[in-house]
Amino acid sequence: MSDAAPSDRSLQILNTVLLVLAGCVVMVPTLWMVASSFKQSFEVTAYPPTIIFTPTLDNYVALSETTPFLHYAFNSMIVTMASTALGLILGAPAAFVASWTRITWPAIVTLVARMAPGTLFLLPWYVMFRQVDMIGSYWSLILTHAVITMPIVIWVLIPFFDNIPRSVYEAAQVDGCSPARVFWRIALPLVTAGLAVSAILAFVFSWNYFLFALVLSNSDTKTLIAASFNFIGEGSTNWGALMAAATLIALPPLILAVIVQRWLISGLTLGAVKG
Amino acid sequence: MTTASNPRSASGAISPRLQLASLSAPSVIFTVAMIAFPFGYTIWLSLQTFTATGMTRFAGADNYVRMISDEQFWNGLTITFYLYFLSLVLQLVFGTVLALLMFRAKKLPGIVRSLFISPFMMPPVVAGMMWLVILDPSLGAANYILTSFGLPPSNWLASPAFVVPTLALIDTWQWSPYVALIVLGGLQALPPSVYEAAEIDGASGWQVLWRITLPLLLPTLATATILRSVDLLRFFDLIYITTQGGPANASTTLNIYGFRMGFEFFQLGYASSLMVTLSIIVLGAVIVLNRVRNAVAW
Repeated sequence: MSDAAPSDRSLQILNTVLLVLAGCVVMVPTLWMVASSFKQSFEVTAYPPTIIFTPTLDNYVALSETTPFLHYAFNSMIVTMASTALGLILGAPAAFVASWTRITWPAIVTLVARMAPGTLFLLPWYVMFRQVDMIGSYWSLILTHAVITMPIVIWVLIPFFDNIPRSVYEAAQVDGCSPARVFWRIALPLVTAGLAVSAILAFVFSWNYFLFALVLSNSDTKTLIAASFNFIGEGSTNWGALMAAATLIALPPLILAVIVQRWLISGLTLGAVKG
Repeated sequence: MTTASNPRSASGAISPRLQLASLSAPSVIFTVAMIAFPFGYTIWLSLQTFTATGMTRFAGADNYVRMISDEQFWNGLTITFYLYFLSLVLQLVFGTVLALLMFRAKKLPGIVRSLFISPFMMPPVVAGMMWLVILDPSLGAANYILTSFGLPPSNWLASPAFVVPTLALIDTWQWSPYVALIVLGGLQALPPSVYEAAEIDGASGWQVLWRITLPLLLPTLATATILRSVDLLRFFDLIYITTQGGPANASTTLNIYGFRMGFEFFQLGYASSLMVTLSIIVLGAVIVLNRVRNAVAW
């Protein structure tokens, strides 16, 4: 701000040093995981640990040969994409209505799903799905994951709809546009950025969600996250493959998160914090 | 609401009000079927006992009476709050420090932000897999680093005494950057005029921090506390993937205990009463903390 006095400069240097140090603490474990996934099996468990090594894809090959990794990945994709789509279909009109009428209590009810422990819902769902013989089906996973995605879509989209000037709606109404037409023809095309952000956040959260698939999937429909136990079981003999699995599972959410990072915090806090 | 009762369109086939209702109908139906009804169903289940034939019988408060005299319940409650307070304090402190460092940096490359979001955007399950390997008592890198500094190695997650602090540390690693980004948003929203006034008054850096910046940040910190409390009181994924509540129940939080009661022992009635209790704790914490936030708002 003012002329840099010597003490100001050294403070600034100290600040940078501490920030770099913090960055290392944040990044080193993740880098270690990625590095381990490219090590040969004898090197992964080497003690003392090695830092310099010749990278190999052996672990990734082993992973695809010894476990149905690709099948689990396929399941994860189906459940995640379908629950994201369902969340958008249900959530986008709800967000529009909440923004239009300023009636937010239905949206607040969905927050219960964000606050209550997942097991609270899992117990009755388990009884319900067992009665209709849906346990282990993709549908049971898609419907339950939509409970995660829909509130995200609603709360991310409400501020985007709020940003559309009221006069736009009013002009459309004077022209004889019904609310449904206003939503489809005018409001929705104006919030495409919001739709993209909410879809990506919903995708990440559905992808990362562990508990529901842990109970409601079977060996055929198991998602990657729920299959982590299998990888840990296998991994007790092969850390390299375990780290390869971990790296691959973490990749989609990390890439998507970087894309939406501008909206990440307001999205993650469901609007409680402006990004 | 005035727009919804527009007289022109009221003469149309479907009133605007009805159209708005029909737009939100799918989400309302879904919310009732998948969130509200199951919520009520769990409360009902918590008042039932299951007979040997799989039928339910009304049991009144039996499950709750059992809970109060269940040592494992109190153990779970203690561990839940121990893990909660330890993790919360650690990540609020580290998060705030990190935010101040980021705020004071002259220029912050965009890549730094990207790096800092990576821990909390990776699935907690992946974080668990990763730390299992790093914290392995015999071959893990963490113990190698400790011993090379002449410090004694730790059993980390395998030690009943250290498992909760270790889980708190992993969660702190994962979520401090999240707290930091929330606090950074709060810092950037502070009016620059307060700093200028303080500078004119000749306040030192520490005085500005303690007397001005932190008090003004209290609402932001309260928000971060609420958001983290909701997750920390329900702490599940990381524990289940790394220890399943062990060793010797030392990391069996209320959530883990309820899950195991329900899906390992299939005592659905008792598990429901545990989950209803935990939900009341979480909702109660949110209500209390929200009052605190309103009290410190400016």
